[in-house]
Amino acid sequence: MLIIMRAGASQTEVKSVVARIEAQGLNAHLSQGEERTIIGAVGDGRIVNRDQFVVMDGVDRVVPISRPFKLASREFSPQDSAFPLNGISVEPGQIVIIAGPCSVESRTQILEIAHAIKEAGAHALRGGAFKPRTSPYSFQGMGEEGLKLLAEAREQTGLPVVTEVMAPEQVLLVSRYADMLQIGARNMQNYALLKAVGLGDRPVLLKRGLSATIEELLMAAEYILSKGNRRVVLCERGIRTFETATRNTTDINAIPVLKAQTHLPVVLDPSHGTGHWEYVTAIARAGIAAGADGLIIEVHPDPDNAVSDGGQSLKPERFAEMVKQVAGIAGILGKQLAPQVS
Amino acid sequence: MLIIMRPGASKVETQAVIARIESQGLAAHPIYGEEHTVIGAVGDGRPVNRDQFILMDGVDRVVPISRPFKLASREFSLQDSAFPLNGISIDPGHVVIIAGPCSVESRTQILEAAHAVKEAGAHALRGGAFKPRTSPYSFQGMGEEGLELLAEAREQTGLPIVTEVMTPEQIPLVAKYADMLQIGARNMQNYSLLKAVGQCECSVLIKRGLSSTVEELLMAAEYVLSKGNRRVVLCERGIRTFETSTRNTTDINAIPVLKAQTHLPVVLDPSHGTGHWEYVTAIARAGIAAGADGLIVEVHPDPDNALSDGGQSLKPERFAEMVLQVKAIAEAVGKKLAPTQ
Repeated sequence: MLIIMRAGASQTEVKSVVARIEAQGLNAHLSQGEERTIIGAVGDGRIVNRDQFVVMDGVDRVVPISRPFKLASREFSPQDSAFPLNGISVEPGQIVIIAGPCSVESRTQILEIAHAIKEAGAHALRGGAFKPRTSPYSFQGMGEEGLKLLAEAREQTGLPVVTEVMAPEQVLLVSRYADMLQIGARNMQNYALLKAVGLGDRPVLLKRGLSATIEELLMAAEYILSKGNRRVVLCERGIRTFETATRNTTDINAIPVLKAQTHLPVVLDPSHGTGHWEYVTAIARAGIAAGADGLIIEVHPDPDNAVSDGGQSLKPERFAEMVKQVAGIAGILGKQLAPQVS
Repeated sequence: MLIIMRPGASKVETQAVIARIESQGLAAHPIYGEEHTVIGAVGDGRPVNRDQFILMDGVDRVVPISRPFKLASREFSLQDSAFPLNGISIDPGHVVIIAGPCSVESRTQILEAAHAVKEAGAHALRGGAFKPRTSPYSFQGMGEEGLELLAEAREQTGLPIVTEVMTPEQIPLVAKYADMLQIGARNMQNYSLLKAVGQCECSVLIKRGLSSTVEELLMAAEYVLSKGNRRVVLCERGIRTFETSTRNTTDINAIPVLKAQTHLPVVLDPSHGTGHWEYVTAIARAGIAAGADGLIVEVHPDPDNALSDGGQSLKPERFAEMVLQVKAIAEAVGKKLAPTQ
């Protein structure tokens, strides 16, 4: 980090900053300008608390230089992460498409969708059994019964199951049924939950918080990685902005930015990113064109009667068309759709 | 529009709202709910001032239903707009790439950039002669001398010129040299400027304001169209958000939203949208994949020494590679690059 002293800071003030830097086991490099003195603190600054410098006499501000994440960084692993997911494989060059309804609503609904999306080319099945809804009066999910239905859908189709876990206490239960645990956007900074899934053995899909920066998303991943679980996929799902024509604003920039900063796989959720089914296919194409490793898409056989997110869900036939278009874009980038489970 | 009455609004208050709706030549359709009375005002609706209803006793809020733009809307023209631009043609199905430096800096620089972008497959040359810079101490552009150099670059390469106009008084001067006038993001709601370019013969490129909604961008276009100039291209160039790892946040959603709502051509500026050259090609691909009709990209022969926007400018060889990738994406979505001259 760089510590920038106020114009006119005294020699004593500078010296005490240098002394504190050295007391932390870092090296201090002084650069004395005409107006100001700048002190570089060199070493692994991740564990050093910046605030202790901000409050010292004569300090104007502290500028962080190192990125605060380590295990998630490109430098830590120049090779893109890869891992198996119950019959499919998450790896560079292979586009993975996760699809399914927002919520598991009934046996008929989830089985019908699972077969439809598999037919259309999906690699994994999504569906919420525990649902974080804005209103406490909205449908909150089927709970364990929903998990059992997801497991039955996997038995019939072979598709691995991705489903949300909302609390540390649920991790064991959900892990019994799911192949991949989703951390929802509203829980991206639920640190107790991040630590709990970090201690588990299930791959994790981590969705970006509604108002979280890219760096905060990577720090959330760092929580999981630092507890030992190295199988983490990041998901851009749109951020909160002033624009009201869409539910969220898909931060398409986040795709190449994340690919430059981390070795973790990055997927895009154009359903939440736009909130309108008619824009989902265009943004799915854009995500793959920008370099995403996969997509997570809401699909419902009867969106008009969906219990949640009907307006942003594709019908199975539109989803099948989307998969074809995405395969075309992937080919141009030298990638291909991942092989499906047999 | 819908006028939503407060819970417990009196019959007299409701009647007064209905009377005023009818006095505007609209039909009133009241719906009496258990808690709220909602009154639909049905008609063309556009010229009615909503504020007069908000102020009335018993009114909770007014919800607009019609879109406030007309000439820019899809309903007005189901066909995508098309027009010629000095030797090239802006039309649906053809992707147009406008490229060049942020600013015209010197004769050598702009001529070198023009030849390089043409060679790489660009259709038009961009370059600012009048520059709206955040700091008054930054380089403000070469002015008319810059316009002359752009014209010379066009003479040598045949590329049409796209350049910014900052004030109504500059329009005759800039129009003398330019083929397309750019309204910069900071001037998207400079209404006297919009009206003035609406009255001129030039094609206009309107960039989305830094904190403007898609609807506000369309209303800015409506200003130009309503004055008689129908040759307008819209440009998404990133919006202001809380994210700091990029200069702006490219609102990729705006591409399909605009294509659904308007017949006007839509281009993407991935240079301003990201602010970092290393992300420009990925976002250019994404823009075309999302359905954009074109791109405007900053290219500089020597970005390290550019007077402005060096960090987001592609070198000519990287730009050439971007054009190849964009061409392939265009074909995947059933389009082609527009023919070059």
